Amino acid sequence: MGEAGEIWSTGADGPYWDGLARGQLMLPVCGGCGRWHWPAVWRCGDCGSWDHGWQQVVPAGRIYSWTRNWHPFGGLESLKVPFLIGIIELEAAGGARLMGLVEEAGTPVKIGAPVAGTFGSTMYAGRAVPAIHWRTS
Amino acid sequence: MRPIAGIAAVAGVGVRQYRRGASPLPERGVLVRAIIDACEDAGFDPAQIDGFSSYGDDHNEPVRLMSDLGTRELTWSSQVFGGGGGGIAGAIGQAVGAIATGQATAVIVFRALAQDNSGRLSAAVMAHHLNGHMMAAGLVAPAQVCAIRAQRMFEHHGVPGSAVEAFVEAAYYHGARNPDAVAYNKEFDIEAYRSARWISEPFRLLDCSRENDGAGALLIVSAEVARDLRKPPVHILGVAQGAAAGWGDLLENDADDQYATAGFRSVARQLWRQTGLSPDEIDVAQIYENFSAQGVASLIDHGFCDYESAGEFCRVENLIAPGGKLPVNTAGGNLAQGFIHGIGMPIEAVRQLRGESANPVPGARTCLLAGGPGAPIVSSAIFGTEETL
Repeated sequence: MGEAGEIWSTGADGPYWDGLARGQLMLPVCGGCGRWHWPAVWRCGDCGSWDHGWQQVVPAGRIYSWTRNWHPFGGLESLKVPFLIGIIELEAAGGARLMGLVEEAGTPVKIGAPVAGTFGSTMYAGRAVPAIHWRTS
Repeated sequence: MRPIAGIAAVAGVGVRQYRRGASPLPERGVLVRAIIDACEDAGFDPAQIDGFSSYGDDHNEPVRLMSDLGTRELTWSSQVFGGGGGGIAGAIGQAVGAIATGQATAVIVFRALAQDNSGRLSAAVMAHHLNGHMMAAGLVAPAQVCAIRAQRMFEHHGVPGSAVEAFVEAAYYHGARNPDAVAYNKEFDIEAYRSARWISEPFRLLDCSRENDGAGALLIVSAEVARDLRKPPVHILGVAQGAAAGWGDLLENDADDQYATAGFRSVARQLWRQTGLSPDEIDVAQIYENFSAQGVASLIDHGFCDYESAGEFCRVENLIAPGGKLPVNTAGGNLAQGFIHGIGMPIEAVRQLRGESANPVPGARTCLLAGGPGAPIVSSAIFGTEETL
């Protein structure tokens, strides 16, 4: 595991954070049954395999749900309210969902709206957290 | 397998509630007060308490209460996992399990919270769950997490906003008529609700529960012992905690058919199986609402209505005492009675079945408690009067 993975991993997701540090979206596929597992697992609960291949995925998907946040919650002082948070469904990764900040660039935010992501970071409580930032197309 | 109904009963309840930041004693002191209140309510010697159970990362280790209570011997202490209110009924289930197996004879189920000791509840709950994925998305508060689920329930599943409005209005209707409620004597102003400032869409300010300082305690003993105490026993007819596959701490990857729920489907199935009851046979309900829409999702999960019928079911006249089809949150709930991490909800269930509620439901024999919705672990219980056994 790289440095990013060591800092941010909450379990088996170290390669995800290492990928973001390189500007790549990496998600795990079970080597036994081919199922996309997100959040990442060490052992596939379906087939019992411990073998996972991390595959690069294009950061593009659709909004599964969203909220426009207006309250200045602690730690997010660097974000100007209101800001949009989306749950992004990735068809190319078996419907795995990522959460992320969304910019209403083209079509208005609604469930099903297509979005594309770029790599960056979000300041939380004075720390730069690696992030994918999404924009509606 | 031995049925749950008939094993244990709530014999006493106690609660001390204050404005947030205004607790006259540090947290543990308030908790001792609430426990003694519960014992006095029951006519029970506090020194005989031998077990404790809690939830929500409560900081008050039972062993530290022994000197104040005069505890002779501690034989049980436990807590349900999870940082939120999801474990509230589960804590009652642990008490029942301890009593059923002889590991304890008198268990206090409690929750205590004073801002000066434990900080803001919302921050504590979030600290339990927060990770880099959430920070990166700016998704760092319970209000936002619940808002994003609520948005899908409205936009994708078509639950009308009127259902949630009615749920909130019913809580305030009861709170306005309960002298112990923060909303006492304040009639609900629907225009003020609709125009309150946004917190995180679709939630405005009055969709969100606001924290109080305080402590609450329920004394649980065997059904036999309860019959000899001061108040009529309120029996635990069924209780379940857990999560189905496809629900949990999954970085918003809950199964598509569970995402816009409150997480109770498997727990509700267990409850109905344990008790042989159906939603029609529930007379009154205390539905933990951290946020308004999650309360409605909880009603849906327990089978009182579905996405399609939620608007029809959740009308104010259906949800208020005395005559509603299912009066909910009859003390005012977390929204309008007060919020000590939900401990007021089972306490109102007990008072309702004893006929002590400020908004009584005449002849009520069964009361559902749905615990904190949307949490990775959720739990529910059904209480009943003596005649339901």
